[in-house]
Amino acid sequence: MAAPRVDRALVQHVARLSSLSTSDAEADKLAGELAKIVEYVAQLEELDVSSVPPTAHVQIERMPLRSDEEKPCLSHEEALAGAPRVENDGFAVTSFVEEK
Amino acid sequence: MIVGDIVSSVRRGERTAEAVCGEMLGGIEARDGGLHAFLHVARDAALEQARSVDEKRKSGRDLGALAGVPIAIKDAICTRGIPTTAGSKILSGWVPPYDAGVVERLKAADAILIGKTNMDEFAMGSSNENSAYGPARNPWDTTRTPGGSSGGSAAAVAARLAPCALGSDTGGSIRQPAALTGTVGIKPTYGRVSRYGLIAFASSLDQVGPFATDVRGAARVLSVIAGHDARDATSLDAPVPDLVAACDRDVKGLRIGVPEEYFAEGLDAEVGASVRAAIGDLEKRGCIVKPVKLPHTRYAVATYYVLATAEASSNLARFDGVRYGLRVDPRRDLRAMYGATRDAGFGSEVKRRILLGTFVLSSGYYDAYYLRAQKVRTLVRRDFDAALREVDVLCSPVSPTPAFRLGERVDDPLAMYLSDVYTLPASLAGVPAMSVPCAPTKSGLPVGLQIVARPLDEATMLAVAAACEHTHPPVAPPSVTKT
Repeated sequence: MAAPRVDRALVQHVARLSSLSTSDAEADKLAGELAKIVEYVAQLEELDVSSVPPTAHVQIERMPLRSDEEKPCLSHEEALAGAPRVENDGFAVTSFVEEK
Repeated sequence: MIVGDIVSSVRRGERTAEAVCGEMLGGIEARDGGLHAFLHVARDAALEQARSVDEKRKSGRDLGALAGVPIAIKDAICTRGIPTTAGSKILSGWVPPYDAGVVERLKAADAILIGKTNMDEFAMGSSNENSAYGPARNPWDTTRTPGGSSGGSAAAVAARLAPCALGSDTGGSIRQPAALTGTVGIKPTYGRVSRYGLIAFASSLDQVGPFATDVRGAARVLSVIAGHDARDATSLDAPVPDLVAACDRDVKGLRIGVPEEYFAEGLDAEVGASVRAAIGDLEKRGCIVKPVKLPHTRYAVATYYVLATAEASSNLARFDGVRYGLRVDPRRDLRAMYGATRDAGFGSEVKRRILLGTFVLSSGYYDAYYLRAQKVRTLVRRDFDAALREVDVLCSPVSPTPAFRLGERVDDPLAMYLSDVYTLPASLAGVPAMSVPCAPTKSGLPVGLQIVARPLDEATMLAVAAACEHTHPPVAPPSVTKT
């Protein structure tokens, strides 16, 4: 495929997908760095892989499923202990429903 | 002191675990200031653990395989009650509520956790310079990098601040720092060691493994941490042979493959000569050396940086400021909180990789980058399958150069990635690989020999490493021997 143009707009689009905020200056710097990496990665196009299956994981055949049994896990208090904000026994966040 | 000696002296009661631990803590206090190998020293917890090992002995109970052995733990591995940051600001001050599977096993074997070691943020880097807390330094020359990402673990072991340590290796993060610091470092077979409680970077590649001053010490730690753990879905249910005994196996008649692609352009002449001399020495010991081909080696860096960043972009999505770690809340809405938290919490290399990984997975680019890289990974695996049908192990350099200077490559991410060219292929193939010291450069910088074996055949790899160590016994840096 034609090489994509890695510019500020693309970086900012990808940054939104990644939940990262980037300033214009930062996006410009990243665009330059990522363009070089994307250009390097393009060498994979030299290979004919049309009949090659993808590898997602090695040795999957040796991996047993675990038995479906109840096991002890973290207590409620332990699970909440590292939270930046806790309210009503739960993780508290800024509102994400628009209130009218 | 090496791991085996500590175990026997503690078992025999010649030294207490507390005395050994106190000595290590004293060393850290005196010398880590200039190295920054540790992010956290667990002084009180370590001494308490050591005393309980001594109690256990006094009460006549059997001691474990690592009785009284101080061990440093890479800060990507969760330790209950001991801060764990993965070298990132986003986890600053976080204290895990549970122990990683490997940590449970170490404690059960009576090892003493002395502290958490410095690392590139989320294990992304080859020089430790991506640590949010400042880089660790190489004890052989403190103007140089100890390598990365497990640079703190390597520096700690090299400087004799710990006889052994745990690291994690996704694309070379144990082997390269081991090579650059003159220590032994093992990346086990993918699935050999549980990753339960390892903060994930790239899940199809991540593997926990040991560092030690000597081959048998590393083998002993690996024997303790290896084995099935149902809490890691990729953990292999395969028996673990006696890996310490494997170090005494005769290497006569073993077939060593030398991949010609690993001695190509870009390899430092002194590193090449040292590695070839080590292979020549193994030949003198009766090994049969023959050239082999790994034709897709040159595609490994590109393949790795597509796959690892894709997986990282997904794994690091969990750091959103909700359940643990840093939160920066501009009090607008949830998305603004995610963005502000991640922007403040992640360093530039981590952001770069998240962006690259999100890009290669995004609509319109998935097939061209991610799927294609997965297919090339199959070709790299087939290279290893074919080569390891002809020979028992592969021997090569670990890093194309000895330890480079801090600051030398920070401005060029691609140049930094290319320094992983000899370690990435074995990671992609999932095969075990390790670094063992061979002859240093003229200026005294360590060089590592990489040994790669068939899946689950760490035993043969260790036998070859032990034979190499016979010619090049462990050497401490001058900064240690002078004091």
